Formats: sequence, C-alpha cells, structure tokens
Amino acid sequence: MLYCGAQFVPGALRAGNAYIQSMESLDEDARLMLRYRDGDADAFSALYARHKGPLYRYLLRQVRNAGAAADLFQEVWSRLIATRSRYEARAKFATYLFHIAHNCTMDFFRRDLRLHQHAASDAAHEHQISEPEVPEYQRPDAMAEFAEQRSALLASLHALPQEQREAFLLHEESGLTIEEIARVTQVGVETAKSRLRYAVRKLKKSLASREIIDAAPLRPQRV
Amino acid sequence: MYPPDDLDEYLRGDSALSCQYRRELAPTPPPALDARVLELSRPPGPYAARAAGGNAPCLAPLAFAASVLLSVALVLAIVFGPQRPKRSDDAPRVVRIAYSGDSKLARSPRAWLADIAALRRAGHNREADEELRRFRSAYPGYSIGDIP
Repeated sequence: MLYCGAQFVPGALRAGNAYIQSMESLDEDARLMLRYRDGDADAFSALYARHKGPLYRYLLRQVRNAGAAADLFQEVWSRLIATRSRYEARAKFATYLFHIAHNCTMDFFRRDLRLHQHAASDAAHEHQISEPEVPEYQRPDAMAEFAEQRSALLASLHALPQEQREAFLLHEESGLTIEEIARVTQVGVETAKSRLRYAVRKLKKSLASREIIDAAPLRPQRV
Repeated sequence: MYPPDDLDEYLRGDSALSCQYRRELAPTPPPALDARVLELSRPPGPYAARAAGGNAPCLAPLAFAASVLLSVALVLAIVFGPQRPKRSDDAPRVVRIAYSGDSKLARSPRAWLADIAALRRAGHNREADEELRRFRSAYPGYSIGDIP
C-alpha cells in the first residue's frame, strides 16, 4: 500500500478557496507534484532533478548493490508516476517519495531473503554448503563496485543495522525530521528517534576511533 | 544510555558527523537511468496516460455514443433507405401452373378410349396397350364393350 503521508484523498480540496489556501502552504516540491498531476510534464523534470540524487544515494546505501539500486530507483519513480492522479499534498513531498522508496526497499529485502533461503535450502539438500550464505550484495565480488565509496564513514554506515542506517540516510539525504522519518518508516516517533540516536552514536564512536572526523568545511548542497 | 545532547547536536545540522558525510562521494543515477525515468514520466499518448492513471479524458462515453449512432443509422438505412425502382411487372401475378394430374380428369372416358383406338389403328399397339392398362386402373368398372 502506498503512503498516505501526502494523503490520497480523491476529490478533496481540488477547487475553491480551500484549494488556494492549501497551495499557499505547500512546499515547492508539492506544488511541482500537483502541477505534474494536472498534466505539466515539465514540473516532473524539475521535481526529478531535485530528488534524484538523494533518492539514489538512499537506495544505493541501503541495498549496497548498484544494479539493485538502479532497479529500485526506477521502480520508485514508476510508482509515483502511476499514482500521480491520486496525489493530494498534505505533507512534505519528500515524505511521500521516500515512503514509496521505503516500501520498495523492504520488498527488495524480503525478495532477497526468500531467494537466498531457497538457494540455501537447495544447497543443503545437495549437501554442498561449505560456508554460511550471505546476501548477494554483501559478497566480495559485488562489494567491489563500491570500492570508490569505501570510506571509513560509509563502512561504518554499512555496518549499522538496516533500520538505523535508514533513519540516518533519511535525515542526511532528504532532511527529514524525526517525525517525518517515523511516518515514512511507519513506526512511532520514539522508535524513530531511538534508531537515529543509536545510528549517530555508533557512527561517531566508530569514526572517533579512526580519527577521521575533522573540521573540514561543508560542501555545497548536493543534488 | 546515551546523553540526549548527542542527537540534539546532530539534528542541528552542523555536527562533525554531518560534515563528514557530506564530504563523501555523492553518486547520482547514471544518465541512462535519468533518461528512462523522464521517458516514463511523459506518456506518449492518451492510452498510455490512461494506463498510468493520468488525466486523459475517458473515451468510454464517446465509444458508447458512437455505437448508438451507428446502430440507429443502420436501422434507418434498412427501413427508409433507397430502394430499387418498381417495374411494371413487379405487381403480383397469377402463376399459371400446368395441370399434371391424372389423365382421367383431363379427358373423358370416351375421349380416352378414342385415343387408345387411334393408337391401335396407327400401329402403336404397345402404347395402346399401356394406355388401356392405365384406363382400366383409372376406371375399373367402366364397360369398354367393343373397344379394341
């Protein structure tokens, strides 16, 4: 089921003063999405340019496989495109987009788990298991594609539990607040807060031990 | 338990951790993927727009109206449409059908016997015999007297 953080309420507030007032309170992304919903294809291009980078990095660092990330990236945008006629802006657009991304990622992990369970079952039947199965995206050959990203920080990020890694990525890549992270991941606010706190604490601890945190200036805003 | 200010400091956005993360490589989707998604966002026609849940007008009412219009036009064409010009001999005519009933109803017994006699005189004995047989079967009680 798709997220209703942006509230799919067919027919609601489509005309009149209420609609105008709601438009005034919307963020720019939501306005673009509404324009795209109403047939303005150029609005999608602008929306895509704003969010493609954060979404791609969120997916890539979640599944840690460039091919799977590309597939998921396309799937997320395809779902957004397919359901655009039901879009109603009631919250920040990023929560809507990243909730779709969260659902796609969870589906991916479930499929991946089933795939490897079947593979392990078949292998056990043939008495050929010689070492524990690991997900495909964690095998050394697949990891090679991330060589360029092998920084201490990303290594520590990848070592986090998936829920904590996701909370960190949602905040860093899309600037979501704890409340918005909770809505995207469909957990309570305290749970989201706890996950982010643990992620931050572990990353800081890991990086402090490697002494890589310095006072370098911020890079310009990424896209 | 961790001190609460760890998270608060991080959420302010200027923590060393955030700075470090933003210095990392920032991969973006490959151009081919960009092109694919942008292509998906632009349905090529009304059918694709409908499949994608877009705002293209629904064609069902138009299709229904066209069907009704064609049906009415077809009925009117059959009932009131142009017809062949009538010919003078198209009027109902009595069909004359040659009577092919028994010869006993076509001829009187006397005439039939006269015909048999004529056949006999002409030397067509076999035909005369055949006609006589048919006469007797048609008029079994008829006295033929000195009929040949």
